[in-house]
Amino acid sequence: MLSELLQGIETGGLLIIQDSCSYSGRDLLRSFIAAALNREEEVHVLCFDVSEDELTDGLKPPATQRLHVHNAYPDPLGWTDHPAFAVQQFRLEDLTDLVKQASQPKPATLVIDSLSWVLRHAAPPAVCRTLQQLRKGGAVRAVVALLHADMHQRGTVGSVCHLASSLVAVAPGPKGNEAVAKITKRSKSGKVAQDEETFCITEDLTVAVLSRPSSLPEAKPNGSEEEQADPTANLTFNLRLSESELEAKQKLTLPFVFSKEKKTALLHPGPGSGRILYEPDANDDYDQEDPDDDLDV
Amino acid sequence: MFTELNSILSSSPDSVTPGEFILVSDRQSDASFLIHHFLSFYLRSRCKVVFLGLVQSFRHYSAVSQRLGVSLTQAKEKGQLVFMEGLKESLSVLIPQADNTESQAMNFLRDPPVGLRSLYEFVRSGAVGSGRAEDGAEEWGPPVLLVDDVSVLLSLGVDAGAVLDFSHYCRAAVCSQMKGNMVMLVRCNGEEEEEEDGEEGAEALLKGLTHQCSLNLHVQGLPTGYCKDIHGQVEVCWKRRQGDGPHTQRNLFQYKVHDKGASFFPRGTSSAVL
Repeated sequence: MLSELLQGIETGGLLIIQDSCSYSGRDLLRSFIAAALNREEEVHVLCFDVSEDELTDGLKPPATQRLHVHNAYPDPLGWTDHPAFAVQQFRLEDLTDLVKQASQPKPATLVIDSLSWVLRHAAPPAVCRTLQQLRKGGAVRAVVALLHADMHQRGTVGSVCHLASSLVAVAPGPKGNEAVAKITKRSKSGKVAQDEETFCITEDLTVAVLSRPSSLPEAKPNGSEEEQADPTANLTFNLRLSESELEAKQKLTLPFVFSKEKKTALLHPGPGSGRILYEPDANDDYDQEDPDDDLDV
Repeated sequence: MFTELNSILSSSPDSVTPGEFILVSDRQSDASFLIHHFLSFYLRSRCKVVFLGLVQSFRHYSAVSQRLGVSLTQAKEKGQLVFMEGLKESLSVLIPQADNTESQAMNFLRDPPVGLRSLYEFVRSGAVGSGRAEDGAEEWGPPVLLVDDVSVLLSLGVDAGAVLDFSHYCRAAVCSQMKGNMVMLVRCNGEEEEEEDGEEGAEALLKGLTHQCSLNLHVQGLPTGYCKDIHGQVEVCWKRRQGDGPHTQRNLFQYKVHDKGASFFPRGTSSAVL
């Protein structure tokens, strides 16, 4: 599903790459940029987290003509006098202007690196509104954003991710250069598809999908060896049953389980069984209200 | 300067990798020995060093550096080292004296919500002085910013977001623009998954800085408890390395701090064990 997403996002789509401290999603983001450039699309990048050089490193020169980097990295808050783009400008009007400056007839893809920077300085509802307006506005074809999920409160991450049409959560993989992506894709019909894939990114920013680790045991994000150890492994007694033992166990009826025969035997006593007949005489002081009246308690 | 650490990080005072942001973090342990390493390392590699010492006095750093074979006083006189003594500066802000020509660096103490712009401007002006040789003055290499430690700013009332902004601006100026290096120490005392009220800021700061840095040295105590011969373990995590493909790389070493240096060895290969 990851390669499907790399081949193109539908118009009006919002793709969010979620990463954490343990694995950076920036390489995947750069792969998305490279893939979009290879499709001859116009790409606008809002660059907050890393310098322009670092972001465009590895992209080939003919393709970079269609890449427009709006470099907010040196001065995102306007501390010096002339910022190229400040975080306060993360509004629909400013972004539309920015994209239209390039004066290309085709709507472009907007890449945000990273949304975390914006979320740290603007109110989450405002950011969500801007993202939604961008999707519907028509100035940009699709939005791809990187989000450092562990830097924000869970609610903020949740509300931003609910807007996304596709969500890729990356985590470190089993081997050094591999990573695991959990992909959630919401189609327009409302259908939600989920998948998990192992991938690795080569130096020319192509993504190689290695396998679908659905058969693999699910690796916990911070599972240590102790957690995965089987507590029943080295016991002095036997917890497991062989097949014959299991069969014997299943044949056994437990003492207080009512079988059909037992039930009928109790409900309909046979002809030979005895009955107790008792007729109270005059001396019997039997109180209906308190049957235990005669007990010396 | 610890030569063993240099070989682990494959760095030497003769060749400093430009644009590197090294984050030194510790959790329930003490990583300040690494700050002393980096201070002597960069002074030896003839970089212009801006040091924000917020935890200890100049005398302390000077005494430790003396043992590592570097004289801070001389470096300061030669103009190689710009040292901001946070303890003194903050005192002069809090108890202003008439004849004191105080710098603006610690002005955030008066009103912490304003942010650390003044501190950033101090760093920038300190770092810009490099390269431009004045008459008779020696010429120094790319600038280096060392901070010991940024968590103190949290205790001074600055919120984690403002510290992250500060480090971002420093990184943009020192690492990207001036091709220098940056080393920051951040401490976290809580347990990893625990979210106490007091530690929330420190956790957020650690995570944010981890996202920004290019190399993370994370110092922890031994998970098995105190040991006389192994003082702890340090996790070395490269975010990106030139020519090594785009992926992170992690290595774990154990260390022992000596009187004049520290030794690093792979797990389980301490001389006390073998």
